Amino acid sequence: MANRPSSLNSQLSSQSSRSPVITGLGIVSAAGFGTEEVWRAVAAGTSGLKPLTLFQSPRYGQIPTGEIQRDLIALGAPTRSSRSDKLGWLAAREAVADAKIDFTNDGDRAGIILGTSVGGSYDSEKFLATLIKRGKMRARATRFHECSSTVDLIADEFGLLGPSMAIATACSSSALAIAQAAEMILTGEADVMLTGGADSMSRMTWGGFHSLLLVDAAGCRPFDATRGGMSLGEGAAILVLEAEENAVRRGAKILARLSGWGMSCDAYHATAPHPQGAGATAAIQSALRRAGLEPAAIDYVNAHGTGTRDNDIAETIALKTVFHNRVPPFSSTKRIFGHALAASGALEAVVCVEALRRQELPPNPGFTKCDPAVGLEPVVEMRHAPLTHVMSNSFGFGGNNGVLIFSSPETNPQTRAPKKIEVAIAGIGVIGPGAVTIKETGSPLPPGKGPVHSCGALADAAMLTPNQRRRLSRLQQMALITARHSHAPDASQRVAVVIGTGLGCLEDAGAFIENLVAKDEREPMPSRFPNSVHNSPAGQVAIDQAARGMNSAPTVGEITFECALWQGICQLATDEADCALAGAADEMDKYLLSIGQRWGAWNEKIRPGEGAVVASLSPAEKISSPLARVMAVKLGRYRKPFDAAREADWISSAVDLSKVEIFLSGAKGFRQLEPLYESVAAALLQCAGKKLGHQTYKQLCGEFHSASAFGFSVAVKLAREKSCGVLLYTLSQRGAKALCVVQP
Amino acid sequence: MQISTHELKSKIIEALKLQDITPEQIDDDAPLFGTGLGLDSIDALELVVLLEKDYGIVIKDIEEGRPAFRSVKTLAEFIAAKRPAA
Repeated sequence: MANRPSSLNSQLSSQSSRSPVITGLGIVSAAGFGTEEVWRAVAAGTSGLKPLTLFQSPRYGQIPTGEIQRDLIALGAPTRSSRSDKLGWLAAREAVADAKIDFTNDGDRAGIILGTSVGGSYDSEKFLATLIKRGKMRARATRFHECSSTVDLIADEFGLLGPSMAIATACSSSALAIAQAAEMILTGEADVMLTGGADSMSRMTWGGFHSLLLVDAAGCRPFDATRGGMSLGEGAAILVLEAEENAVRRGAKILARLSGWGMSCDAYHATAPHPQGAGATAAIQSALRRAGLEPAAIDYVNAHGTGTRDNDIAETIALKTVFHNRVPPFSSTKRIFGHALAASGALEAVVCVEALRRQELPPNPGFTKCDPAVGLEPVVEMRHAPLTHVMSNSFGFGGNNGVLIFSSPETNPQTRAPKKIEVAIAGIGVIGPGAVTIKETGSPLPPGKGPVHSCGALADAAMLTPNQRRRLSRLQQMALITARHSHAPDASQRVAVVIGTGLGCLEDAGAFIENLVAKDEREPMPSRFPNSVHNSPAGQVAIDQAARGMNSAPTVGEITFECALWQGICQLATDEADCALAGAADEMDKYLLSIGQRWGAWNEKIRPGEGAVVASLSPAEKISSPLARVMAVKLGRYRKPFDAAREADWISSAVDLSKVEIFLSGAKGFRQLEPLYESVAAALLQCAGKKLGHQTYKQLCGEFHSASAFGFSVAVKLAREKSCGVLLYTLSQRGAKALCVVQP
Repeated sequence: MQISTHELKSKIIEALKLQDITPEQIDDDAPLFGTGLGLDSIDALELVVLLEKDYGIVIKDIEEGRPAFRSVKTLAEFIAAKRPAA
């Protein structure tokens, strides 16, 4: 594979100009700020772990942790933001300055995809603590709760108008984010992407990992015989990723290439890795295939190496499986930074790029004695070595794996590009008020009754196993049921699962923190914590369906579903999956209802809703009688002030409007978006030269982050009934937008 | 001090939200994990919480609890041996 046949090379040469290169880095961590400071700590193996000061922890406060103990506001971070936002913003400022890039004139060609899983939890927890301990409702603390808040903040700061997305797959989030950003560049959706991740410390993850007994009281010691678990951390790292042709055109300095990436899912357990490292092996092999490299080409592996007993054994088994008796030098830098969860893949991407630039192997502090169960020794001291291709592993909760390969600028990239494919919808599962499966949505959907659009008791819960019923949250159950309605498990297929969520399992996350605060960390709820991560619905669907392809959970406000659709289709277009289950799910909970009440969000017309939709997608040639086809999916951001004519142009540049009869919008929801949808419907009349029937769906399902997933099911129904193309157009309150077209 | 296995079984059923099962249906010697009740590593962590809450026994390393979690009988013996004197 290292030397492809020449017939392929001619085809690849035209793609190579689109190949993603890294032209800027920014990093904030417990080990330092900026690449220079961080590298000094990495090269010396200096640990940034210290006792916790950020919040009171009666039981565990003295345990070393990778907390950032600098004044973020004094460094310039915006005050109106969450702690994760501040970390991300500071890293982005450094990365943009490093790349010497300016987005003033070409913001349309620049986007952002970050991995964040804690989001604004640290700040929202103050709301819960005040409510529980003082009985006061201080809802303002939750304003930046969503994981996509960091993405929106940075996009607005730098004027990025291309695709924007947050991905929340726990500890592999930023590896998946960086991979998706690369796909955006390869497919020509953007020329430049800011990518990486940001995650702050929070009581939730602190209490959660302690409740799982996964924290080493002496600080993590990856791969060491006496290791006793992980150390938590926080931080952010941002890479400026751009098409090589773009970097060359503007005379940018190319730091490294991103030449391959691979994702997989263990489909094994909510928290424990597959004991034989099966998913990790598959992700590494997939990344090598994508890069067109043989295992022997890899010169260094930055391991996930958390320091837990199970991870370090499973990961080294995977290394031995792929590299046999020639495992390259490897090390874990987790004792330097702490495990910064969603940001860890991004921090380690910076380590990999710097290792390539400096031709130095980073050491693995904390290791002194070889574990016979591991049987491999990491790099113990920094040393010089010729490095051409290096690999970074990130493995998350739910057996969610992401692997990246970075290569020196001089290499000739062989990265396989996505193909253009026609996508068919083979099945769809819907849980919404009054809707269960597509077969039952034949006539106009009944309007919701009462003040909320609740899905009530899940009618199909009987199809779940006793263990699924007792253990899984309502949101996970909704995802499992809709996935089963959309797709019957088929062992011969490679299945990717992308199920997004705007706010995740609110009930379990809320109960976990409530309990933590009320009982001062005593009597935690270990079975609730794994449910609190945004990728837990997607992870449980993967286990239920034995789906071992990519597993992702985008979280992007109102366009969450369209991002899932985009990611799922991308897996088909790169031939990494035969089938993609793409969907989104959100649930209602007491805090969401009461905060919305406080902000005056709900009234007679705008009612809170909930629901789940999963669509089974495959390349059209593999499906004999599809429900419908997905003709286009496009993501971006709208200008402020809103410009309807520009929006109509954006739509008509991506959609063949001659085939579209219905404009289906997210109107009838939050008030501030209402006039925007109406103005776009009017502006489209000019573009299309014909009147498109403007229809809405939120009067049926209520307002919730994943509502456009329900809109998608309505689009499928309308396309089938009226035998016409339906354009689904969605705006998020914070500036993101998406379109998708469904045709019979 | 002896621990009533019947009482312990009731506590396990409640803590783990086990459905459609009564204390009488759980055999003292039946394996709790894997086969048997089909519990997993997260259930073991819930048992750790139960041991601390109801019996004042603190487990910091799951390996420490592993032999005790084999069956209801081994768990009762573990509690009897480790329980702080009242």
